[in-house]
Amino acid sequence: MEKIERRQFIKLGLFSTAGILVGSFFAFAKTEKDIEVNSYEDLLKFDWGYIVDTTRCIGCGSCVRACKVENEVPEGYFRTWVERFEITKDETVYVDSPKGAIEGFNRDNAQTAEIVKAFFVPKLCNHCYDAPCIQVCPVGASYRSPDKVVLVDKEHCVGCGYCVQACPYGVRYINEEKGVADKCTLCYHRIQKGLAPACVNSCPRNARIYGNLKDPNSEINKVLHQRRYGLLKPDLGTNPKCFYIGLDKEVK
Amino acid sequence: MRDRKHIVTIFSLIVFVIIIGVIARLILKPDSFGEHGQYRWNAVSELQKQEIVNQNISTCAKCHDDIYQLHEKDAHFSVPCVDCHGAGNLHVLFHEGGDSAKQITKEQAALPKEYKLEGCLFCHKKLKARPSDFPQINQEDHYKFLNVPDLKTKCIECHSPHQPVFMLTAVREARIHPIVYRCTECHDKKPEQSFKEVAGHPAIFECNDCHPKIVKSFNERPHHKYIECRTCHLYHKENETTGRIYKNGNARFCLLCHEKKPFKDENYPPKIEWPSHVGNSNIITKSDEKICLNCHADRIHDMDVKIRANPHSSDWVSTHKNFAKVQLTVCQGCHTSNDCSSCHSKTKPVSHNQNWRKQHPSFGAKNQSTCEMCHKKDACMNCHKLSMPHPKGFEDNHKEVATQKGKAVCMNCHKEEFCKQCH
Repeated sequence: MEKIERRQFIKLGLFSTAGILVGSFFAFAKTEKDIEVNSYEDLLKFDWGYIVDTTRCIGCGSCVRACKVENEVPEGYFRTWVERFEITKDETVYVDSPKGAIEGFNRDNAQTAEIVKAFFVPKLCNHCYDAPCIQVCPVGASYRSPDKVVLVDKEHCVGCGYCVQACPYGVRYINEEKGVADKCTLCYHRIQKGLAPACVNSCPRNARIYGNLKDPNSEINKVLHQRRYGLLKPDLGTNPKCFYIGLDKEVK
Repeated sequence: MRDRKHIVTIFSLIVFVIIIGVIARLILKPDSFGEHGQYRWNAVSELQKQEIVNQNISTCAKCHDDIYQLHEKDAHFSVPCVDCHGAGNLHVLFHEGGDSAKQITKEQAALPKEYKLEGCLFCHKKLKARPSDFPQINQEDHYKFLNVPDLKTKCIECHSPHQPVFMLTAVREARIHPIVYRCTECHDKKPEQSFKEVAGHPAIFECNDCHPKIVKSFNERPHHKYIECRTCHLYHKENETTGRIYKNGNARFCLLCHEKKPFKDENYPPKIEWPSHVGNSNIITKSDEKICLNCHADRIHDMDVKIRANPHSSDWVSTHKNFAKVQLTVCQGCHTSNDCSSCHSKTKPVSHNQNWRKQHPSFGAKNQSTCEMCHKKDACMNCHKLSMPHPKGFEDNHKEVATQKGKAVCMNCHKEEFCKQCH
């Protein structure tokens, strides 16, 4: 009796393993499609960088609206948003970003005290060279593309949310509809075709600049050589690639 | 022997697990994973296929080149079309035609043409956090200053979104304050003729039209050779509803020219040491409360701003209709809509009460033109059967009129006793 049970058990195990294997083969196997994309070697020529000029931003929220439409970002989440910093005479710092500034800013936030310094800071993914979100991904769905853009493989992501917690800048969110992590892709589909990302395209004040850091003659390198810029949370060692012109110490 | 059997079992199990693992990896590993790193290479290309939604300004320019040309040359040149008109992907697909166009309705393809007020205020609402050099308004102050009573009035009533610096043509041609134009802003060279000699030329409001006495007094004093009105009076101050165009009367403004500085010409214009100038004078002890104009106003011009002239021509009552039809916004520069409704309301004017019948002759005799704003010229004939008021010399020929039209006509207004006074 005992022997038969064990044999049956092994048989059952083998069959079920085989069943799962065959089933998963059909489930995961995909026919390859022919798509025209830039080759790996082409992509290696690029290193996309980004500049935010906080001295020029007027907080209109055009970028937030454009991004939302371009990437179908679910309501309540943002791939880019605009923060407002107001510093009053008694050194109190007011920070706000109503609805990510998708409807702009209606009135001054600090109503009671006298504002001595105030400015807008647009935020987005920093596309760090040493991105913590990539390190923590258990399935290899967060990755850095050959042209140094931090991306999410939506087919592969299991939606565990580790990366959302790992990002020190809070730029990732879980797309509840699809159950995957999502973030700024620097409008990867646009930059590959030579178009500016939606936020850069929509900025009426040219407060956002993007470009190829590997090209010494690119616009972005010219600006970086002329202007003084800062990085967000440089002490964390994430090595971010989003450069902020006119950054204040209050901006974290 | 028994031990050996165990070892074989263990090793075969391990081999089996490895084989299963290898097979599972072969089957489960996504295509292209690890080709160029620890990620699925195909994911990169999948992202590249995402559809482009926001249209580039050059795409818009392909069809709307006329607007593009205007837009390029004005202050909004860096504002892309998508900011006001929406993403526009359906619009482009629909008008390009083809298969994909069939699924799009005309409504979906339409883009918002008239942008709402809030849209402009996204950028131009006054906020402390905006760079101070960026044009921004406090809507209430702006409208109060311009005498616009309806706060829902859209910006595009005056400002063309494609050419914001130049206001809408109708307003621009009227040369309303605060924008004072010169001939050369439209013409290449200063024309030889005055605009008044050119038929159909839009009216130009010059300072002299409304403030002739001030301009005259200015021209008699030393400043007029070197500066003009708008050197000091740049714009209306928006937070003042009185309509003064007094830019800056404080010392700092005058000192721009008159302060002694090593890089300036020593002799002209007259220079002063600052702030020792204040100390040297016996009159002034503190500088912060005194402005140059307190002492030197007579060097500039008469300071009574209330001296005004009427800019309208004598036949304005009858001709203003045509002007207001086209350029109402110009009228609103000075007048409120109350001014219109005081004559043009559908209800009777307040003065036309039950006693009006008795009172109107004396009013009509003095202010005939006011009556004619609403009543036709021959309206008097309807009741009086005569042109009213009585023309000159009526006393002499009234006998003829009375016999011709009958005495009853006179009795409408006059009583029997009136005749008896003379007859």
